This record gives sequence, structure tokens and C-alpha cells, in this order.
Amino acid sequence: MEQLSVGYDSIQFVIVKFGDEQFGIDIKFIDNIVRMQRITRVPKVQHYFKGVINLRGEIIPVMSIRLKMGLEEDEVKRTTRIIIIKMEGNDAVGLLVDEVLEVVTLSSSQIERVVYDSKEEKANFIFGVGKDKEKLISLLDLNLVLADKDGN
Amino acid sequence: MWGYDNMDVSQYLEIFLDETKEHLQSLSDQLMTLEQEPDNMNTINEIFRAAHSLKGMSGTMGYKRMQNLTHDMENVFSEVRNGAILVQSNLIDLLFQCVDALEEYTSNIQSTSDEGTNDNEHLIKALNNILENGKSGLDQPAARQVVEKPVEKPVAQAVISDKEGKWNQINLGDSQKVVIKKAIEMGKNVHGITVYVQETCILKAARAFLVYKALEEIGEILVSSPSAQDIEDEKFELDFSLIFVTSQTCDKVSAAIMRVSEIEAAVVDQFDTSGFQVEEAPKLDALSGESKNQMQVSVTNDSISMDNKTEKKQVPGKPIVNRTVRVDIDKLDVLMNLVSELIIAKNSLVSASKTDAGVNRLGVNEQIEYLESVTTNLHESVMKVRMVPIESVVAKFPKMIRDLSKKLDKKMQLIMSGEETELDRTVVDEIGDPLMHLLRNSADHGLESSAIRKERGKPETGSIHLRAFQDGNNVVIEVKDDGNGIDVATVRNKAIERGIISAEQAENMQDKDIVDLLFLPSFSTAKQVSDVSGRGVGLDVVKSKIEALSGDVEVKTKLGEGSTFTIRLPLTLAIIQALMVVVGGEKYAISLGSIVTIEDIEQKDIKFVQTKEVINLRGAVLPLIRLNKVLDIDSKADPDASLIVVVVKKGEKLAGLVVDELMGQQEIVIKSLGKYINKSKLISGATILGDGEVALIIDANTLI
Repeated sequence: MEQLSVGYDSIQFVIVKFGDEQFGIDIKFIDNIVRMQRITRVPKVQHYFKGVINLRGEIIPVMSIRLKMGLEEDEVKRTTRIIIIKMEGNDAVGLLVDEVLEVVTLSSSQIERVVYDSKEEKANFIFGVGKDKEKLISLLDLNLVLADKDGN
Repeated sequence: MWGYDNMDVSQYLEIFLDETKEHLQSLSDQLMTLEQEPDNMNTINEIFRAAHSLKGMSGTMGYKRMQNLTHDMENVFSEVRNGAILVQSNLIDLLFQCVDALEEYTSNIQSTSDEGTNDNEHLIKALNNILENGKSGLDQPAARQVVEKPVEKPVAQAVISDKEGKWNQINLGDSQKVVIKKAIEMGKNVHGITVYVQETCILKAARAFLVYKALEEIGEILVSSPSAQDIEDEKFELDFSLIFVTSQTCDKVSAAIMRVSEIEAAVVDQFDTSGFQVEEAPKLDALSGESKNQMQVSVTNDSISMDNKTEKKQVPGKPIVNRTVRVDIDKLDVLMNLVSELIIAKNSLVSASKTDAGVNRLGVNEQIEYLESVTTNLHESVMKVRMVPIESVVAKFPKMIRDLSKKLDKKMQLIMSGEETELDRTVVDEIGDPLMHLLRNSADHGLESSAIRKERGKPETGSIHLRAFQDGNNVVIEVKDDGNGIDVATVRNKAIERGIISAEQAENMQDKDIVDLLFLPSFSTAKQVSDVSGRGVGLDVVKSKIEALSGDVEVKTKLGEGSTFTIRLPLTLAIIQALMVVVGGEKYAISLGSIVTIEDIEQKDIKFVQTKEVINLRGAVLPLIRLNKVLDIDSKADPDASLIVVVVKKGEKLAGLVVDELMGQQEIVIKSLGKYINKSKLISGATILGDGEVALIIDANTLI
């Protein structure tokens, strides 16, 4: 699993917002950030997949992290973005977020790892909490976010 | 690891593998024929040639074990050809084993570029035994064998007299004459050499290169005709001539050349200087000094080009074999023509857009239509280039059935038809295993033993038919046997026993559905696990593999009469003709290949059978499937209006799909949805429409 390894002094995270919370996504997995566009619904798939989009001739599935985390349905706003994630050896996938805020660099000392299995669904998708100035940022573990737990 | 250490053969590896496979296939085919007609001289000659070519090729490539084995096979065949050995079934068996061993070498070479370490001594020994017995059995003049059998490479004496020394025809420049003269003065031997490569030789340049190498070890090549570069580029017929300076004798030189395989003959003569005059002394010194330098320069140039070649030495253990398709030159010509047309169309569009806007709208439309027809044709041609006949896959089956027949001790024959049916290369590559499985299945489980067949009044020899043909946008491959068929009762009991279905379920299931249970994982009805099939990893693997190719497999069976497995595959994977439809405001594509007709059905014509909607279409009753329900969306069509029904078929079964609206026919490029989405089988992919919108492709087969 791709995670922070010892020796990495600092990692850049793209800070995104959905709901009231801020989340960090490791920049090395991000292929692209695109504006909200028409999503084609795909019937009979996992409930958190909103459908597919056409990104320069490639078909990319778009997933709602909100729905995956058990939060309420996304509300498409002017700031809504689709973050295209491409993990090594895997197909691209889009994540729907309410807003993209900034890019921050966190050194390993600013990251506190969490290893608990919380009852709260969304806590199960993060591998640590980053402290940037006064802010707390939940760092998303993309492997967990993309894993298909329902497996139907 | 290579026979010739400095020889770079990697660039020939691909050709070698291709050719080897072809020869092996021909060997195996011919052996099958020989088994039927042991006296067929043509076949015997063909086998001899195949074995001989294999020997030569493996020798060049430095595969010693392969060379040894083919060498002995060739020896045996040489004797068969002479009539010294009679073709018997044990010989055929042995030769088939040899073919298997050669196939093993080949597959080793393909994956590791090394032939492996299996010497197959038992085969070589058995071949030699046959050779010994055959010889002592018949009185054969020994001398004749020496000539006929190239056991040891023939040496200088074997030079065939009708080959003339063409080196005489080389035009020498003055400077070259001077060098030759000088060399003779220094007490060296100057030879004129003409080397003849065998007509059947495939890698002529490689042979020539080996000759060069052999000669450079013992002397210096002064002149070469054609030039070294041309030889390297294979720009010569069957012979090439050299002027060669050495301290060795003619015989030694000749022997060195003949050590290279697939060399027909080498004519080596003492160079005769009487034919030319060189002007005398004072001038000569100056001239010769200069020309000698020149000479050396040119010689070194040649050797540099050769050295470059050797430097690209292959890294061991890395197979550099790409997947290739051999393309008929005609197909490429068509492609080229279409590309030219495309360029013309583009240019016309450019000029049409430059002329007065609006006025020329018509011209633009015309050009777009033209462009459309060109791209359609282009697509079709590219598709054709990717298509290969399934022959390459099915050609190995007759031998497999023969082996199975011996192993299972059942009499059986394989009847194949439609080998020329073409499929996409990727599909052809994948279809071999499933087909092999079905054939083994038929041979092992399907066909009864000869005794039982006799009892049942069937011909003693069981038949398996392998039939391929094109059906619309699909290719159908059938494996049919006239054996016992599938015993539905046994399957039913087994399924209940295994807990796959309950007894009540079984009551309500039709025979067809029971038979389909065979395709579930871990379901083997064979009472005994045999070597051939029946490990329970059979039909489900076949099914999943074929489904991965977007095809499907069906079985029809009749107890006591045999079973038929039908595989249905799409002609091509990438681009299809589709009908675009609208359901609940969303656009979907349905492959044209599965559509029969489009019907307008009045509400009152909908009938109900077991609460399911059906329609009666010209005598056929077919179920009505409301696509909007299947796709979880509300229909936007007027509920009272007549229905638009797309009639689709799968095999012989029909169904009517109700859609809201028809958009028309379109050529679509199939794209995958990626593996994150856990889509149902109903959606086989997606495509991008002209306006950038995504439309999903419905696999109508899954709805029937």
C-alpha cells in the first residue's frame, strides 16, 4: 500500500472540502482536477458511483466520497470539482468534492497517524491527521476510499 | 549459451520462432497424413524437408539440443526416403513424441530465449535404434547413404562440380590487383571463393555472415561481391564471391566454409594472377603504399559494420518476441489507398471552408459525407488487418485428438470445417484453450468406448466436428460429438448432492437449465478424475474465458445422441455498428449484430403469458422487455402511444426491447468503464458520441 514511508520529509497535499471538513489528498496520486461536467448515469452499480464522464476521450467513472462515507448526497455547486485519481497500475477514477482549497506541504512531524477502527464511517478512510498552522486536515487513504467494500 | 558466441541472432529470433512453428505444424500435419498413407512419397519428402529446415535453423541460432534431435529425425527420414526403413505405427508415435519435444524447445525459446536443458536422450536413442535396425534389415549400399545423408557436413570433396567459381567475374580495380600481387609475393595464398547458399535457406544474410566470420578467423577478405553491406542486407541471390588472402590451403578454407550449415557448396580456387598485368617497379611502390592503405580502410569499414552487429549481443533470459500479425500486402495497399483518400478529403474540406462562407455549405456537407465513407472503409480495412484465420489455433487439434484416441483407447476422428474463418488476433490468441478443453471434454466424456458404440448401433469410430462460420457480426464455433450426450438426471442429482440447487428447485428446472449448471465452477460429472479432463476446473473456465472475450457459450444435448457446444464471439472487439436509442432521456447503444427488426407495436397487441408481457410477431411469441425497468429509469414515452420495440436475437431466441425513441445507426468505439465500477453484465461498455456525451452500450444477449 502506498503510504508515507520513512525518509519522506514532506508530502504535498491538495486540500479539498466536502461537508464542513477539510481533507488532504496526496498530490502524487492526482492526475487532474476538472470542473463539474455532465455525468452519465450507469444503472445497477454501487450506489456511490455517480456515473461516468468523458475526459478527453477516456471514460472515467466518478464516485461520490460523500455517499461512500455515508454522508448526504452531493449538492452540485459552482465550486464543485472532480479530482481525477490515477494510482499506479490502476485505471483512473474521479472523486467528487465540494471545493478545492489549496496545496499544503506537510513534513512528517506534522502528521499524526491514526490507527483505530472508528464506528464513524468516514474515520475509516483516513490514515492520519495533518496539522497545518491552526488547521486540522484529515488525510485520505485512497486505497481505502477506492476499495469496494460492499462487493456485490 | 550461443553456438556462435559473437553472432547476434536476437534480431532473427522472431523469424526463427515463426518459421519453426510453421515447420512444426507442417511436420505434424504430414505425420498425420503419413499415418494414413505410409507410402506417400510426397509426404515423406515434405517431412524430410521440414526436419532438415528445422535442423538448419536451430543450428544457426545455436540451439544445439534442438539441432541434435532434428538431425536424428532427418537421418531416419533419409532412410525412410531410401526405402531402408518402413513406416510403422511405432515410428509414427516416436516421431510425434519428437514433435512434442521440439514444441517444448520452441516454447522455452519463446519465453526465455533459451532452449532449456532437456536433451531428450531417450528419443534420440530410440531414433538411432530404428536407424540401426532399419539398416541391418535391408541391404543398402553404404556409399549412397553417405551422399544422401548429411550426417557430417560434407567437406571440400563434396563440392558440387556443376557450381562454377563465379569469383572470376569480379572486376578488380588496379589497386586491388596490386594488393593481390603483393600478397602472393609475400608467400600468402590468394583464393577466389564462390559460396552457394542452399535454396531453402531462410536466413541467407546470417549464413553469409557466418561464412565471413569463419574466413576472417583464418585470413583476410580482400574483395567481396556483392559488397559486405549488400550481403548483410541480404541483397544477393544464392551465391556470393570473395577474394581471400590466407596462409591456409584451398581444402582448409573450403572446410571452414562448409562448417556453416545450409551452405550448398563452396568453390575455392587458387587465384590466378596471370590474367592481369601490373606495371613495374618504381611507380608501383608509391602506388601500392597508397592503395594498400585504401584497401585496409575499406576492409576495416566492412569489419566495423559487422562489429556493430555483434555488439548488440542479446541479454540472456529476456525474450524479445513481440506479438505480430502477418499482413497480406494487398490489405496494406487498400489501407494506403484509403489514407490517400482521407488526405484528399481533408484537403477538399480545407478548400471548401476557405471559399465564401455560407455559399459553400453544400460543398462542405458533401465532403463530410465523403469523409465519413472513407473513415468507415478505413476502419473496416484496419479491422481486416487485425483479423487472422482461426486455422493457426485449430491446426494442432487433429494431432491432439489422435493422441487422445491412443490414450483413451477409443476410436475417434476429428472433422474440421471453416478453418479459414477470420477473427480478431486477440480473440484468436485466447480461444485456443477453451476450444481444446471442449474437444477434450467431448473425447473423454462425450464419446463412448468402441464396444459400447457397437452395442448401440453407432459407427465404431466416434466423430467430433469442429465447425467455424461467420454469422452476422459474430463468429460461431461449434464443437459437436456423436457420443453419449449429457445425462440430465445425473447432473440434476449431482447438483442436489453438492447443494448447488435444492430438490424442489430441481423439480421446477427445465432440462436446459440443468445442463447449464455444468458451467458453474467446480462441477465435474466424470465419475473418475482422468488425466484428460474432469478435474472440475473445466467448463466454468471455458465459460469465463469466452465471456471475457465478450462471447458466450451454449450447450445442446440429447442423451444417447451427442452434444453440441456453441461458442459465439464478436467479430471484433473495438468498434461496432450500433443502433442508438433513447430510454428515459438517456442515450444507449445496442449492437446492430444482435438486432433482427424494429417493430411498431400497438398497446392492444400486448398479451400476457404467466403475467409476463409478450407479443405475437408474425407467428413467433416473444417476451417484451421494458428497457426502462431494466435500467431503473422512468420512461418518458407517452404510455398510451404504440410501443417502439427493438427485436433482438441470441442464437434462435428472440426478445423485444421497448425503447422510448430511436436515434439511428452509428459506428461506435467501445470503451471500458474501468474496473472500479461494479457494473452489471447488462452494460458491456460505453462509447463517446459526436458531441462528447457518453452513451452506455447494452449487451442485449444478457437480457434474453
